[in-house]
Parts: sequence; structure tokens; C-alpha cells
Amino acid sequence: MKDFFSSKKAVYVAVAAVIVAVAAALTAALSSGGAGFASMLSQPFFKPLKSAMTSLVNTLEHAYGYMYRYDEIEAENERLRARIAQLEEEYREYTEVSEENERLRTLLGFTERSDAMDLEPVSVISWTASNFSSSFTISKGSSSGVELHDPVITENGYLVGYVTEVTGGASTVTTIIDTTTSIGALIYGTSDTGVVTGDFDLFKSGQMKLSYLGDGGSVIIGRTVVTSGGGGVYPSGLVLGYIDSVAVDSSGLDPYAVVTPAADIASVSHLYVITDFAVSE
Amino acid sequence: MSKRRNRTFIKVLVFLPYLILLFLLQSTVFTRVTVLGMKPLILPIAVVGMSLFKGRITGGVFGLFSGMLMDLAYNQPTVEFTLILTITGIFFGVLSETVLVQGFPSFLLCSALQLVICSACEVLVLSVLAGAPVAALLGTAVSQCLGSIIFAVPFYYVSRFLNRVV
Repeated sequence: MKDFFSSKKAVYVAVAAVIVAVAAALTAALSSGGAGFASMLSQPFFKPLKSAMTSLVNTLEHAYGYMYRYDEIEAENERLRARIAQLEEEYREYTEVSEENERLRTLLGFTERSDAMDLEPVSVISWTASNFSSSFTISKGSSSGVELHDPVITENGYLVGYVTEVTGGASTVTTIIDTTTSIGALIYGTSDTGVVTGDFDLFKSGQMKLSYLGDGGSVIIGRTVVTSGGGGVYPSGLVLGYIDSVAVDSSGLDPYAVVTPAADIASVSHLYVITDFAVSE
Repeated sequence: MSKRRNRTFIKVLVFLPYLILLFLLQSTVFTRVTVLGMKPLILPIAVVGMSLFKGRITGGVFGLFSGMLMDLAYNQPTVEFTLILTITGIFFGVLSETVLVQGFPSFLLCSALQLVICSACEVLVLSVLAGAPVAALLGTAVSQCLGSIIFAVPFYYVSRFLNRVV
């Protein structure tokens, strides 16, 4: 141990590390975007390099997929064709139901529910290197109107995560499966509410926990879980996922549901940040 | 004095692009390529290589910058790995200057120890600050170490090559 800091230079290096760490913690705590000074300083330099590298990786992945997964892709194509046919049928039914709904709303004097959202298209630059958390960096930051806690969705309206760090030209998004996530939710088509949270035991399988369910009467496998809109952070009705299974916690008293995200979180590339939204009933 | 300054300049000229390349690999390629279902950690292993072949000062400085970049790759404030990799960079440098032989067994041993230290710190931080269940974290930590340690083989040769060049 005596040798460990026997030279002055080694001590200087260690002190520099402590200063950097303290400065980073302070700037992250004090900055409005939650970003440390290293993020803010390095982002303009690394953003184009990371984007180029990610494009290269994507191209190689596609090439690999084309060469080695042709049969798999062909089978998937078949499945998707069948799915399109099924969805077209469902769409026809949906149109009929929607028209009927419109007529009934008018009849009952309901105000049309309007979810006006301002969307900012973004692309994923890079993912976290951590095996214990789930987050990624997106291509836009405060200069494009992105703010802390803005929700991030896919083109289908599936919730992917929320903004947890903002710099001028890039932002960090923490996904809904991350263990720090906690979102007010409700089971679609019922009035049952709960809280969707990330869970370490479910993290590896890319799933979430829906807890505080009350009696859990409407928890049926396959049902859709959406945001409740409570708290005003997320708009209501964003699809979180589908109930995969139901279990009881370690105390044996409280039921919870395991929810599989609707979005394929591991492979998202082009997304939308909801920079503003208004809900009126 | 100027000879020494030139050597430092050459070191920066070689190690800076190396460090940037490692960061890009860590934050783009090795977030997609997984081993045993885990994203391998390559920057901590590179720090071991630098410490073992170049000693405590270069190891410590390389550890400091690697740690900052590792924290950036983790999308977290530059605290945890900045401290860990600087300290371990100096520590493995001291070991190589005193008791260790600069061979592959030493490199493998130090890399394994480095990965265990990094993973243990992650587990500690998450279990203490986030109250996460230790059992679930330990499983991930062990897989992370096993999935990363295979990179000790290429990094041993890369570090040895860099040591010869600079």
C-alpha cells in the first residue's frame, strides 16, 4: 500500500479523478438538463462519430441478416403477409365501429377526445454499455425543443421511454424496462389502474411489472396496458404493453402482472419525442 | 527535458486515437454484440493492459480518461468508473512495477480482478442506492465478467504491440 501512492504524479492523477467526479456530480445536479459537464463537452465531438459508427454497424447487421438469415426472413415475410390480411380485416371492422362510435358520441353530446401532441422525430445514436440499465442516446436535444421527462414513442404510439438527460444536440432516453421507471397505468377497457415499474428480476427478459392492482379482477393475460395520464408526465392512452402472466409478490398478498412491452425496445431506431401534449375530455 | 516531452507527445498521439476507438467500440459495437447475453466491457481491460505495460502513471492517466468515457458510454455522470478505473489503473501499474511479470497469466489475472471490481462496484451502488435485490444483480455481474474476460486475449496482444511502438 505504501507503494501505491509513492510517486507524486500518481497522487495528482488520483486527485484529478476525484475532482472530475465531484465536478461531474455537481454539474449533473445543477444543470437543468441533468447532464454532467463531460456529456455536454463531449457530445458535439462524439455525436457524429457515434452516428457514423452506428450506421456502419446497422449496415453490417443488415448484410449479415441478408446472408445468413434468408430462410428466417422468408418465413417471417410469410407470417407478416398473413398478419397484414388479418389486420386489413380488423381495420374494416374498426372503421365500422369507429363510425358507430362517432354517431353515438354525437347522439350523446360528448365532446370529442382530442390528444394534440407535438412530435419531434429522432433517431437512436447509441445504446448504454451497461448490463444493469436500459437507456439510449437520441439525435436531438434542447436546441430542437426536447426537454427533461419528455415521453418517447414509436410511430405506432407505443411508449418506449422518457428523456432523462438533455444536452444541446443530443438527449438520453431511459426505457420503460429500466428499473428506475415508474408509470401510472390502466388496463385498457377497464377502470383498473396500477403502476408499471422496471424490475431487476424481469429486466433480463425485457419485461415490466404492473403492481398496486387492488383485487386484480380484470388482470387477464393478453390485455393491453396503457398510460393513465395521471401526473401529467405522459399523455393518457399510450400503449405500454400486454399482460403476459399474473403472479403474487413474495409476501403472498399483492398480485402483480408481468407486462411485455408493445414496442420492440431492443431494436428501435427511429422514434418520436412528445415535446408537448394537451388532453381534453 | 525535450526528449521527455517528445515521448509524452508521441504517447498522446498514439493513445488518444486508441482511446477514442475503444470508446466508439464500447458504445456502438459492443452494445449490439453480446457474449453470454451480456454487453462485454472492453475499456476496463484496456486499462489493465496500459497499467501492466506502461506503469502506474500512464495507467492512472489512461484509467482516468477511460473511466470518463466509460461513464459516458453508460449514460451516467462521470463519477463511478472515473474513480474506479483511475485507482485500478494506478494499482495494477504499481503491481507490474513491483511483483508482477509482464506476461499473459498476469494480464489475465489482473483483467479478471478488474472486471470483478467493476461489477462489484455496480452491484454495490445499485443495491445500496436503488435497493435492488442482490441475488438478481449477482447473476448479471457474473455473466458480465465471464462475457468480458474473453477479450483479455486480443487486448493482451494489442497492449503488448502498443508498448513496443511507444
